[in-house]
Amino acid sequence: MAILECSNLSMYFGALTAVEMVSFGLNEGEILGMIGPNGAGKTTLFNCMVGVYRPTKGNVYLDGLDITGMKPHRICRLGLAKTSQIMEPFRAMTVFENVLVGALHGGRMKMAQAREESARIIELVGLADQAEKPSAAISVPARRRLELARALATGARALLLDENMAGLNPHEIDQALELLRKIRSSGRSLIVVEHIMRAVMGISDRIVVLNYGAKIAEGVPQDVVNDPQVIEAYLGEKRPSVVA
Amino acid sequence: MKTTMNHPHGRMRFWIAFGAGSVALALVPFLTSSEYVLRIVTVVLFWVGMAGCWNMMSGYTGYIDFGPVVYFGLGSYATAIAMTKYGVPFFPAVVSAGVAAAAIAVPMGLTTLRLKGAYFAIATFAFAETMKQVALEFDRTFRVSFFEGSHGITLPISGLDNTFFFYCFFAATFAVMLIHYGIEHSKFGYGLKAIHEAETAAEIAGVNTTGIKLRAYVTSAFFLGIFGGMEAYWITYITPADVFNVHKTVQMVIMTLLGGMGTFFGPLVGASFLTVLSEILGTAFVEYYLIMVGGIIIVIVLIMPKGIVGSIKDWKGIRFA
Repeated sequence: MAILECSNLSMYFGALTAVEMVSFGLNEGEILGMIGPNGAGKTTLFNCMVGVYRPTKGNVYLDGLDITGMKPHRICRLGLAKTSQIMEPFRAMTVFENVLVGALHGGRMKMAQAREESARIIELVGLADQAEKPSAAISVPARRRLELARALATGARALLLDENMAGLNPHEIDQALELLRKIRSSGRSLIVVEHIMRAVMGISDRIVVLNYGAKIAEGVPQDVVNDPQVIEAYLGEKRPSVVA
Repeated sequence: MKTTMNHPHGRMRFWIAFGAGSVALALVPFLTSSEYVLRIVTVVLFWVGMAGCWNMMSGYTGYIDFGPVVYFGLGSYATAIAMTKYGVPFFPAVVSAGVAAAAIAVPMGLTTLRLKGAYFAIATFAFAETMKQVALEFDRTFRVSFFEGSHGITLPISGLDNTFFFYCFFAATFAVMLIHYGIEHSKFGYGLKAIHEAETAAEIAGVNTTGIKLRAYVTSAFFLGIFGGMEAYWITYITPADVFNVHKTVQMVIMTLLGGMGTFFGPLVGASFLTVLSEILGTAFVEYYLIMVGGIIIVIVLIMPKGIVGSIKDWKGIRFA
């Protein structure tokens, strides 16, 4: 059953079409990879889904409930959270407090419960030894995990991860993949936008490919990489040789 | 060891210090026979409370409100009108002034809090100036006798001494400080600080940003209304030019900036420092003291860009201050 569904979602900025008639579903307990060249509309699509933008056309459903155009905090409390590509920690707060905001507000928990939950999640993502550091003072990989922890603390059942592995080295990517599998096994569903093919191919159950704002392919990883349209989008069109 | 307020030790130490300070302050009327000293302490309390009102909204969220004086002025007028025209006693009049200010803050907050940065500052400033004009021109325009235009309103002479007003301001400022304490350690406070840091990220993490900003704004307006009402009764004479004076806004902003925006002790330190400094220099150098005060403010801001408390907090690595 689809926990999250987009139907004919479109987003125009004036004359610019950022997202055009995109439809897909995220199944319960699934990891859905989302790829596409730069500017394909992945981040805009995410922002439409979590309510940062109001989509020009189309609808988003969470557990069958129409959440199109709701405010981000309402969508978050209903169970859909996002991590941002540009990391935005609350810099004056510690790592722990950052996660606490998610648990208190997104998860609507009482202080004592929120503290426990935050500690548990910080442990899960492997930031326990840095919990009391100011979030402005931690490394990029740690910030990526902090973004993830904050989203997890909201108790969201569906997570949208926007390039959560960008800037990580191969070893860190393996750790991150391991973490995503752990998160999935705790009963959450994920959409993962990623440029690192090895990562996205290895972890996704299915993959959706966007190009110029439209969905051009959807399916299991092997099929998608062999799709001529996808190859074209990434490698360019094969030109007929010029005849003299 | 950092004094994090999450540690029971730190919390206990804070309460002992804060409690002792408050009790000592509450005894001031018994410790001094000098009306001058009592008056100065009352003025300090007044400004600590006023700066605190600004800090709880603008200091914590980073939304620079340039028209808080409007709620002070509305509180003054509400109290004056209730007392002179309807014969309401002082305390009910002051409380209803606070409620009136808060009620007006709801629609104002809902509209202006959607604006960001300079636009919010300009909108709030414009609202304050507008209300000043309304108070000035309302009676002449509608041929009624309500705000009394530029003549102002004279309140009933209380015959109460400075001790009475000292305790009034003490109670209100104490309440403002308690709210600050609540902000430092609550869901509400973490929401405000998250808005300051990254508003969109806060929203995505489930913070009802508009709701939280509005709560802070309305609470601030409520207390400003109360301060306005109490000051009106103390001074016994109000005019629009006085109670809506932008100078009061500037004082609140500078005191908070000097002490440290978004900190617990910021308004306390900033307002005490500036009030006492102006008083000392004002008596010693009647003609040049404003230049000197200005110079000292500039020096402090250059050395301590985050304010006195904010910068000390950074240097010492203290989380709560």
